[in-house]
Amino acid sequence: MKSINLNPSFCISAKQIQKSTRFSAGKKFLIIMLLVFISSPIFAQAAFDKFDGQDDVTSIIVNKKMFDLMSKVKVDASDKETQHYLALIKKLDNLKVFTTKSTRVEGEMKVAADKYIKSAGLEELMRVNENGRNIKILVKSGATDSQIRELLMFIEGAKNEDTVLMSLTGNFDLNEISILTDKMRIPGGDDLKKATKGKR
Amino acid sequence: MKATYGMALLFSLFLISCNSEPTLQKYFVENTENKNFIALDVSPDILNVDKTKLSIAQTDALKSFDKMNVLAFKLTDTNKAEFEMERAKVDLILKDKKYQQLMKFGSGKEGASVSFVGTDEHIEEFVFFANKKENGFAVVRVLGTDMNPTSIMTMMSVLQQSNIDLEQLKPLQQLLK
Repeated sequence: MKSINLNPSFCISAKQIQKSTRFSAGKKFLIIMLLVFISSPIFAQAAFDKFDGQDDVTSIIVNKKMFDLMSKVKVDASDKETQHYLALIKKLDNLKVFTTKSTRVEGEMKVAADKYIKSAGLEELMRVNENGRNIKILVKSGATDSQIRELLMFIEGAKNEDTVLMSLTGNFDLNEISILTDKMRIPGGDDLKKATKGKR
Repeated sequence: MKATYGMALLFSLFLISCNSEPTLQKYFVENTENKNFIALDVSPDILNVDKTKLSIAQTDALKSFDKMNVLAFKLTDTNKAEFEMERAKVDLILKDKKYQQLMKFGSGKEGASVSFVGTDEHIEEFVFFANKKENGFAVVRVLGTDMNPTSIMTMMSVLQQSNIDLEQLKPLQQLLK
């Protein structure tokens, strides 16, 4: 994906070198960098993308566009619950879920998650250890304490159970998450519910 | 100096445009005759709903749907290499910015994605792409004029009371065999 998206910028730079020798080297460099930066937001948050498409990994990715579209559905004004739900959806950006049964991938996920937690500055919200399942829920806070920019959940599966890595980005309130877990069947939703209840 | 900038920009635009990827439309046309593919056009009649029983909103929603095009690649023992090639082609087409991906599901062996063309309130086309290593892949285009999220939800309710005319989908049965 990277190479395809970057192609136009390379075309331009090649052409510009050909077309106008009057550009100084510095200017050329600046233009190239600018183009690279313009296209870079597309690759942001790609820390876990390598798990996408792997043989042992099942992935679910929901993009911002989907949430945008869903939130535009007109609903009956009297249906408070659905309206609440749609209001929340509007605040979401991306949902990524990767699950695997392979221990090799589990190891890789753990490494990637740990690395990401450090680099993105996530804080631990809670940690559960039950029946050999190790569940970690981390958040990146926004302006206020309950305002969440990112929610990351990592469930280390015990034997024969799925390991789940889930990342949800957006700008939402922690308390609102319980609506989401009620409506969507997100793996580990029950644990998430407990975590958000505790904060209330 | 200004002219040089202009020239460079103009030429770079040309470069980008001649780089443009084949569209799905072209891909469909090219492969309709291909024996590896099963092509299928489905009209809204397939829903077979009693139009008199629909609400006004539902009728409007139904009107915004034009047709559905299905192109399916049937995997056999002999066309494995072509399968990989064609799948990569579709993948590439769908990576174009024109196709805004909504969601994606996948494991190594199988996968599905949903994309759309247009803007939020004026959707021209939905693209479903599903593939499975054992069976092949299928691309479904749902074409319409000015579809919007509300009309899609309304469509869902129409779907529930429709009794789909399976006759039109018969060619697809080969896929599952």
